[in-house]
Amino acid sequence: MNLVLISLILLLGFSSYYFGRKKATIIQSSQRLTALPKFYGYYLAIWCAAPALIIFSLWSVFEPTIVKNFILADYLDQNLTKNELQLIYTKVKALALGTYTGDINNFLDNSAGKYIQIKNMANNAKIVIVLAALILSLSYAYQSIKKNNRMREPVEIFLKWVLFTASLAAVLVTIGIVFSLLFEAIRFFQSVRIFDFIFGTHWYPAKTFVRDGQPDPELMKDAFGAVPLFAGTFFIAFIAMCVAIPVGLLSGIYLAEYATRKVRKYAKPIIEILAGIPTVVYGFFAALTVGPFVKEIGNSLGLEVSSESALAAGAVMGVMIIPFISSLSDDVISAVPQNLRDGSYAMGATKSETIKKVIFPAALPGIVGSILLAVSRAVGETMIVVMASGLAANLTANPLESTSTITAQIVVILIGDQQFGDPKTQAAFALGISLFVVTLFLNVIALTVVKKYREKYE
Amino acid sequence: MRGNGTNMTKISAKNVNVFYGSKQALFDVSLDIMDKEVTALIGPSGCGKSTFLRCLNRMNDVIDICKVEGSIKMDELELNSRKLDVVRLRENVGMVFQKPNPFPKTIYENVSYGPTIHGMAQSKSELDQIVEMSLKKAALWEEVKDRLDEIGTGLSGGQQQRLCIARAISVSPEVILMDEPCSALDPIATAQIEELIDDLKKEHTIVIVTHSMSQAARVSQKTGFFHLGKLIEFGDTEKIFKNPDNQQTQDYITGRFG
Repeated sequence: MNLVLISLILLLGFSSYYFGRKKATIIQSSQRLTALPKFYGYYLAIWCAAPALIIFSLWSVFEPTIVKNFILADYLDQNLTKNELQLIYTKVKALALGTYTGDINNFLDNSAGKYIQIKNMANNAKIVIVLAALILSLSYAYQSIKKNNRMREPVEIFLKWVLFTASLAAVLVTIGIVFSLLFEAIRFFQSVRIFDFIFGTHWYPAKTFVRDGQPDPELMKDAFGAVPLFAGTFFIAFIAMCVAIPVGLLSGIYLAEYATRKVRKYAKPIIEILAGIPTVVYGFFAALTVGPFVKEIGNSLGLEVSSESALAAGAVMGVMIIPFISSLSDDVISAVPQNLRDGSYAMGATKSETIKKVIFPAALPGIVGSILLAVSRAVGETMIVVMASGLAANLTANPLESTSTITAQIVVILIGDQQFGDPKTQAAFALGISLFVVTLFLNVIALTVVKKYREKYE
Repeated sequence: MRGNGTNMTKISAKNVNVFYGSKQALFDVSLDIMDKEVTALIGPSGCGKSTFLRCLNRMNDVIDICKVEGSIKMDELELNSRKLDVVRLRENVGMVFQKPNPFPKTIYENVSYGPTIHGMAQSKSELDQIVEMSLKKAALWEEVKDRLDEIGTGLSGGQQQRLCIARAISVSPEVILMDEPCSALDPIATAQIEELIDDLKKEHTIVIVTHSMSQAARVSQKTGFFHLGKLIEFGDTEKIFKNPDNQQTQDYITGRFG
């Protein structure tokens, strides 16, 4: 039904475009047009479709709530809780649609009948109102075309609002995600003190699991200390950067300054292929190849190495980030103006002196920016650590032991069965928002630095 | 304006051909540049005068596809030779570019750059002295002596160009090449640079590429006119501007083309 209505509106919209354009050519024979004929078409099409579609969507959004209130009005005197009311409403709806399989009483049956009635009424009313709006606005627009009013401005203004709505939607979604994280995190912090979360050194949420009932507050205190996770996250990111910064930066310098055009043409895409490998592939590479390899080497040196080590996960993550740093630093180094290079060469500086003393300092802000972006990627990386670094949250600085990160723990918490409203589940949101704050902070610094660099040369 | 030249040839170019890939940019250019004189190279855009200038300090090496043929001798030293030590050459032949290109470093670091990479100063005070001398010679000292630790790119266009000149002369080169040094500057800054060129020729041999014929006439003792990659006429500036031998030169100088 709705589909038919929407198709009708769109069809009318399209045809009014041609109608409006045609009308314009008729007007043209007697007076000067205020815009190109197609603007008359757009104008009519917009006025035909837009108000009707807006009313249609608003109606569709609010209808369920209103219907629900009508139905539940009959139950208000029974002193039911919100959840019970919701349950009744679900039953009524199921009954009306014929999918209900439980016990049926008179009261429910009545309500189901009422539901069907209201729903039908609402549907008819919707069609009438939407079509009425369409006809009204269409005739208004037609009058305005007949009077040969100005056509360009309304069309341009409409387009502006369409674009505005699109960006508004993106912003609202972002805000919505942040707030949902925030609310769940706040609920988590009602059962776990924020101090215990930030400064606690022991992460073991599984021990708070109690069947039916509230967990022991003493247990709660000691189970959600996020320090080992933060430490593990930054430790692994640090190992990754130890791999990625030197290799990425040096290869970036090579590509930008030394590589001939031909080498660059082939080398750059190949390095960038690294960035296209799915992280899960890196994950099992780390877990099945690098992990055992590290362990073997460690054992042959007489060291005790766990088969899931921070070193293996960090090193593979570093490899994953190499193209990120190499490509970005290649870009910023290439962006250093050629006349600075010429100036340096003309002074008799060699290539390496020029790079060290002129190009690198000039590109440094951009390079720092790219490194910070890479760090925020390393911090947010999940798959590799889940697969290769182990899941036990050890507080350790030994790269040969297994450790765990924020992202890995979120995965651990949210896979399998979990109970909403349980602090253990809510902990994922608290971790999520702390991760969000950290990466946001890194990104803001990185972008500020990069922007400052741009201002200097453009 | 009379030259104070010693009438010694500093640089002697013979049959220089330059190719960018398959395109020939210079055809059989031969000319002698006199010691401690200003030699101006004029001609319409794309005539090869800058290309020739860049042969004199091997800056064409930076461009992969560029190939230089012929002989360019500076005091018996063959410049167009594979065996030439380019770093030594550029220490001896400084260059000032069309667009002022100070490094994004402090004024002090800009001037001390050359002496540092060539290891010319044994101590900090010696380096200080070189910086002061160079800035004084570039007529910039009075304007910047109190702010040597400010970033060089923060100066005005004319000051930046004089900073680049100070940078070029900091290593006491025998020859200074200038590639349209005033084209990005206003008339007052241009006048300052021209005055400076006149001073500099007491100690340095100067080759200047310029679009402004009046500038060539004001600052130079010898002028070469390039057109379509060929050196059309070369001689005393006075003669070139008053009584050129070649009709094309005459046409260009009187503004009939170019």
